[in-house]
Amino acid sequence: MTGGSKKLLWAFGAALALALPWLISDRYIQHLLVTSLIFVIFASSWNLLTGYAGQFNLGHAAFFGIGAYASALLALKLGVPPWIGLFLGGLLAAAAGFLLGIPSLRLSGPYLAITTIGFAEILRLVAMNWVQLTRGSLGLYGIPPLPGFWGLEFTSELTFYYVALAGAALALFCFRRLTRSEFGLSLQALREDEPGAESIGVDTNRFKLTVFTISAFFGGFSGALLAHYQRLISPDLLSLHETFQALTMTIIGGLGTLTGPVVGAVLLTFLSEGLRFVEDAVKIDVRLIIYGALLIVTILFMRGGIVGLWERLSAGRGRDQEEG
Amino acid sequence: MESLFLQQVVNGLIVGSVYSLIAVGLTMIFGVMRISNFAHGDFSMVGAYIAVFLLAWVPGWMGWVGSLLAAAAGVGLLGILVERGVFRPLLTRWTDLDQIMVSIGLFILMENLAQLFFGATPRTLSDPFGGVTVNMGLVSTSAMRLLCFAMAMVIIIVLEVYLNRARMGVAIQATAQNRTAAQLMGININLIYAVTFALGSALAGLGGVLYGTLFAIYPTMGAIPTLKAFVVTILGGMGNIRGAIFSGFILGVAETLGGTYISMEYKHAIGFVIIILVLLIIPNGLFGRSEK
Repeated sequence: MTGGSKKLLWAFGAALALALPWLISDRYIQHLLVTSLIFVIFASSWNLLTGYAGQFNLGHAAFFGIGAYASALLALKLGVPPWIGLFLGGLLAAAAGFLLGIPSLRLSGPYLAITTIGFAEILRLVAMNWVQLTRGSLGLYGIPPLPGFWGLEFTSELTFYYVALAGAALALFCFRRLTRSEFGLSLQALREDEPGAESIGVDTNRFKLTVFTISAFFGGFSGALLAHYQRLISPDLLSLHETFQALTMTIIGGLGTLTGPVVGAVLLTFLSEGLRFVEDAVKIDVRLIIYGALLIVTILFMRGGIVGLWERLSAGRGRDQEEG
Repeated sequence: MESLFLQQVVNGLIVGSVYSLIAVGLTMIFGVMRISNFAHGDFSMVGAYIAVFLLAWVPGWMGWVGSLLAAAAGVGLLGILVERGVFRPLLTRWTDLDQIMVSIGLFILMENLAQLFFGATPRTLSDPFGGVTVNMGLVSTSAMRLLCFAMAMVIIIVLEVYLNRARMGVAIQATAQNRTAAQLMGININLIYAVTFALGSALAGLGGVLYGTLFAIYPTMGAIPTLKAFVVTILGGMGNIRGAIFSGFILGVAETLGGTYISMEYKHAIGFVIIILVLLIIPNGLFGRSEK
C-alpha cells in the first residue's frame, strides 16, 4: 500500500469513527461501540507492555480495577469531579505500575506472570473484604456520570461514545508515538534480546519501569472510563478473567501491533454479543468456549493474529500485481 | 490454645499434601519440557469430576478406589492428547510467551466446556467412612481427610521410587537435567515428553480427586489448584520435585495458620505474599540452585 492511499484509509477510518453513532441509531449497538472503545484502550495498554516490551503481565486487571475504584471512590466520598478522577485513577494505577515494575526488573516468563497475578489477586481480595470502603462483593453503585458542559450531557451512549473515542485516540496516539520512536526500538530490543540490548547501552531497568508506568496509566484510565460509564463496578474488574479478556483480544487481533488490539477488542465485543443470541436459541454458553478455541488456534496457526494475516494477504496481492 | 495450633498444623499438612501432589505434576512438566501449564488445575478439575460420576455410579469403597485409578488413567490420557495436539506443535519454535498463552487458551476452553457438560452446580464427594472422626490425643480429624493425606503420601513415594529406580523415570530425570546429553545417550525425547506430560497430568487428576474430598467441585475450580501449584512450584524452585513436595506442605500450613491467626478473608493471599517476598529476596526459590 502506498503512503497516499494509507493516509486516505486513515482519514476514512477517522470519519467513519466520528459518524458511526449517527449512522446507527440503535442504542444497544451504540452501547457495544462504547464498550469496544474502552476495551481498545485496556487491551492496547496490555499490548504495549507485553506485546512490545515482552514483559509478561498477567495482572493487568489490577490497573483496570485501581483506576475504576479510585475514580469512583474519589467522586463518591470526596466529591472529586469525575473528569479529574479519570486522570487521577490513571495516575494511581501508574504509581501501582511503577511499584509492580520494581520486582519485574529481576523476573521474566512464568515468574513474572505469577507475581503479577498475585498482585492483582491480593488487590481483588482487598476490594472484596474492605467492606466499609468498597461495599465488598456488592460493588459500588450510584457512581456519578461525567458532568456535562457547554450544554452537552455525558449520560447517553451517543455522547459517551465521543468521550471514549477521544480517550482511545489519545491512547493510540501515545502508543504510536512511543513505539515508532527510539524508545519503541529500544523496547523491541528489550523484548528480543535483553542482555544484547543492555550491551549496546539500553538502560533496561529504566525502560521497563517507564513502560510499566505508562501501560498501567492507560489501564487505569480505561477502568475509570468504565466506572463512569456503567456507574456500577464490582471486584470482578480485578479478576484474572479481565486480564485474559485483554490478552485474548490482543492475540486474536495481533500481538505487538498497534491495530491488533483495536481489531480484537471490537471484533470480540461484537462477536460475544452476536453469540448471545445464538446462546439464547440453543441454551448453551458457547461464547467463552469459542474464545478459548480461537486463542489456541491463533497461537498455533496464525501467530500474527488477524492483522498479521491481513498483512500477509495484502503483501501477497501486491506481489501478484507487480508480477502481473 | 495449644491444641488449636496443633489442630491447624494437622489441617494444614492435610491440605498441603494435596497441594504437593498437584504441584509435583506441574514442576515435573516444567523441569522436563519448560512448559508452564496454566491449565494444570483444570486437569485436576477433570479428575474431580471423574470421581463425582464414578462415585454416583459405584458408591462407597469400590467407587473411591476406582475413582483414583480412573482419574489417573483418564486425565493421563487427556494429557497425552493435549501434549500431542496443543503443545508439541509449538515445542521447537515457541517462546515462553507463546506456550503460556496457549495454556491460557486451554484454561478458558476447559473451564467453559466443563460448565457446558457438567453444569454449574457445585458437587461434593461422598465419604466412604460415613463421617467417622479419628482422635489422636490433642487433635482430631475425619477418617476421610486422613485417608486423603495417606493417599497423597503413597502416590508421592511411589513417584519418587519410579523416578529414581525405573528406567523411564531415570530417563525423565536425565532429560530434565540436560536434554542434549540425554538425546546423545539414545533417549527418545518425544517419548519422554509424552510420558512426562501424561504422568504430570495424571498427578493433577489424582490430586483433583483428593482436592474434591476436601473442597467443593465446580467447573471453574481449576484456577485455584493452578495458582496454588504455581506458588508451590516457584517456592520450591521451578523443576525441583522435592522442593515442590516440601513447599506444598509449607503453603498448606501457612494458609491454615494464617487463616486462623491473621485473617480468614485473606487466606488465599498468603501464598502470593510469600512468593512475592521470596522472589524479591531469593529468586530461585527456597530449594533452588542458582541457574547456570
